[in-house]
Amino acid sequence: MSKDEILSKVKEAFVSVLEHDNFQLTDETTANDVDGWESVTHMMIISEVEKIFNIKFKLMDLMNMNNVGDLVKTIESEL
Amino acid sequence: MKFVRKLQQSIENHTDHNALCINNIFYTYKDFANEISKIRKAISNTIENKEKLIGLVTNDDIQTYATIIALWFEGKAYVPINPSTPVERNIKILELTEAKYIIDSSKESDYKDYVVIKSLVLEHTRINLKPKQVSEDQIAYILFTSGTTGQPKGVPITFSNVEALVDAVDAEPEFNLLPTDRCLQMFELTFDFSVVTYLFPFLSASCVYTIPKGAIKYFYIFKLIKEQKLTVLTMVPSIINYLRPYFPEINAPDVRYCSFGGGALHSDIANEWSNCLPNCKIFNYYGPTEFTVYSGFYPYHKETHKKSHNGIISIGTPQKDTLYLIVDEGNNKVPVGVTGELCLGGPQVTPGYWKNKERNAQSFFTRKEHTIEQRYYKTGDLCFKDKEGDYQYVGRADFQVKIRGYRVELAEIEFHAKHTSDKKANMVALDIINSLGNAELGLAIESEEFDTKEIFEYMKTKMPDYMIPMHVRFIKEFPHSMNGKIDRKKLRTYFDIKTNR
Repeated sequence: MSKDEILSKVKEAFVSVLEHDNFQLTDETTANDVDGWESVTHMMIISEVEKIFNIKFKLMDLMNMNNVGDLVKTIESEL
Repeated sequence: MKFVRKLQQSIENHTDHNALCINNIFYTYKDFANEISKIRKAISNTIENKEKLIGLVTNDDIQTYATIIALWFEGKAYVPINPSTPVERNIKILELTEAKYIIDSSKESDYKDYVVIKSLVLEHTRINLKPKQVSEDQIAYILFTSGTTGQPKGVPITFSNVEALVDAVDAEPEFNLLPTDRCLQMFELTFDFSVVTYLFPFLSASCVYTIPKGAIKYFYIFKLIKEQKLTVLTMVPSIINYLRPYFPEINAPDVRYCSFGGGALHSDIANEWSNCLPNCKIFNYYGPTEFTVYSGFYPYHKETHKKSHNGIISIGTPQKDTLYLIVDEGNNKVPVGVTGELCLGGPQVTPGYWKNKERNAQSFFTRKEHTIEQRYYKTGDLCFKDKEGDYQYVGRADFQVKIRGYRVELAEIEFHAKHTSDKKANMVALDIINSLGNAELGLAIESEEFDTKEIFEYMKTKMPDYMIPMHVRFIKEFPHSMNGKIDRKKLRTYFDIKTNR
């Protein structure tokens, strides 16, 4: 799967949890850049991503995830 | 005040110990003493003696914590205002308390109309930790919680309230912090639970580990447990709900104490969590802001102490000098086993809501116990006492809910949601439990669909982020119960929110 494909599927996960699509996702995007992305929704997004890609993150990966780029990298390593 | 002098001694006697770890930087008690002394000097140079209530912008830095201690040493109170809360709400709080001075460690202060002490750029001075005399009824802090009329409600806590809290916790043989302890402080300083997570470590010369603003809290907590080997955790139960899917990956043998509070602790998750902490004592604390954080606890143990009701762990017994009383709607005591409203009496009870006579008449009452007129605070929590003397939480008596440990009046959300809408649609705020077992806020609107952007933008200028509903549903006609009231239970079923696992 190409990085763009991953990113577009990640966006699907964000939209379904946050109930809006008023944002752009790039490698540098952090929770501060997206309306509604914070502690509470983060977990929902993570588990939606796990469902879409049929993977399961490790807590060690999640604790060092600081932006969308880190998320995409971790997905790539799990696929 | 004994506890203030104890703070002085604790700092003076442990100058080489770490006091704070903020964003991976350690600060010793000597660093802390320096910051406190600088801020004290600025306070006594700038603030008139009669001004007792001082605004404090709660950043995540050593200056903010040092300001609390400096104000106490100067015999003054802190009124915390959160920099991520709308400025308008914070100014409302400052107006209500008539605070004229603010201590702010931000580079640029948002409070141009106030006298601001910039605690980040103060000159070095000699260490001065000798506390000034304070009288018992002087205020140590005022916190504001959500109010039903759209106006935040102030809860003043006096020095003697805090003294009584420290005294009660010290009397508990099961809980003793040491200078070697590493303690989690995950709370905003506007939230009363934070008082125990900085005060008790500072009193014992332990080290306090904070969570940087903007970090995903539960992951950062795990990182601290793993990398910094925390020994003392104080948390709201919702945090472990988020970590639950990862419990098999968590093993934290260094944790000695884990205290829960600020929400119902469920027995299934408590059991699973205690498996992650093999050497830990777990305390299920209870207590409202109005009673100075804690009023009592239940010592949970997965094998020997697991008393619960409807899956919620018992809140145990009142602590030293605290009285629990369960009453019916006429404030009459009910028998053992009967559910009623839990009322709290004793030296930790607030003198009353800030300038709010009406509310005080509703929330406090006195009752003759033996020969003494005992003053009680009505918590709004429904509880019963069992035959063994343990108290059990059942639910709320009103429309107050807990969101991430914060108390939220649903009426306040409705008040602000309806304000800008010219559609005059009926709106109901609801707490919806997601699949992790945490409450999220929903807004039900009785109308055809319309654009809610303006409503949300307005709400964001009036309320902190945890009070902004995360889900909106339009319902053509609200369901009603037999007696004509809006059926909130049925309304909740319209919120088919994203579930997981």
